Amino acid sequence: MRWRARLAAAILAAAAVGTALAVEPGAPAPAFRLPALDSHEQVGLADYRGRVVLVDFWASWCGPCRQSLPLYDQLRAGFPATDFAILAINLDEEAADAKAFLREHPVKYTTLQNPQGDIAKAFGLSGMPSSYLIDRDGIVRQRHVGFEPADVDALKREITTLIGQPAHAS
Amino acid sequence: MRPDPRTLLLIAVVLLAGCATQPVQPWERGRLARWDMRWDPDPLQAAMTQHTYFSKEGTAGEIGAAGGGCGCN
Repeated sequence: MRWRARLAAAILAAAAVGTALAVEPGAPAPAFRLPALDSHEQVGLADYRGRVVLVDFWASWCGPCRQSLPLYDQLRAGFPATDFAILAINLDEEAADAKAFLREHPVKYTTLQNPQGDIAKAFGLSGMPSSYLIDRDGIVRQRHVGFEPADVDALKREITTLIGQPAHAS
Repeated sequence: MRPDPRTLLLIAVVLLAGCATQPVQPWERGRLARWDMRWDPDPLQAAMTQHTYFSKEGTAGEIGAAGGGCGCN
C-alpha cells in the first residue's frame, strides 16, 4: 500500500507545480521597481505610498486595452494628483510595440515596462488586462480582470471611498 | 534485472509535472494574439468561402454547428 501513498503524493505534487498564488484583496501589494517606458528612470510602487494607486497591467495586443487606456487617462484627471495615481505596467515583449500603441492612445500617467513578466507573476495575473486598486497604506483593495467601459463608474466610487480613508501612521 | 513497473509509474507521474511548469501565462499571449496566428486571417474571406461551400454542397447550418442531428436548429 505504501507505493500507492507515494503515487498519490506524486500526483498532488505534480498538480501543485505551476499554480501561481494570486494577490487577494486585503493583502499588501507586492513591491516592485521597474524602468519607465519612455525614460531610463526607475519607478516603484513605494514612490506612491500615501496615495491611492491603480496598478494597471496591459499590452499592445490586448483588445480591451484600446478602450481602457483612454478611459483610465480621463479617470486619472478626475482626482487630485496628490490623492490618486495610475501606474501602468506594460507587458509587451518589445518596447517598440508598446510605444506605438501609446502614440495612438496617449496617456499622461506613468507607464513602466516589464517584458519578463515577473511582476505580473508576483501579482498572480489571471487575465489581461488586470488592474489592482491599492490604498494609501499599500494594501490591495480591489482586483479586476478584463475591462468594460461600464467598470469605470464603480471604480470611480471605490477610489473616492479610498481617498477618504487616511493612511495609518507607520 | 527488469525495473519494477511501480517505480516506472512513479517516475512517469513525477515527469508529468514537467508539462505543468510552463503553461502560457496571460501576459505571454502576445504572439498568440497576432492576426496571422488566427485560423482565418481574413474573417470576410472565410465567411464568403463558407457561403459558397454551403451553396455548392446543398447543406444547412454552419461548419461545426452545434446539435445532435435532430434537425431542430
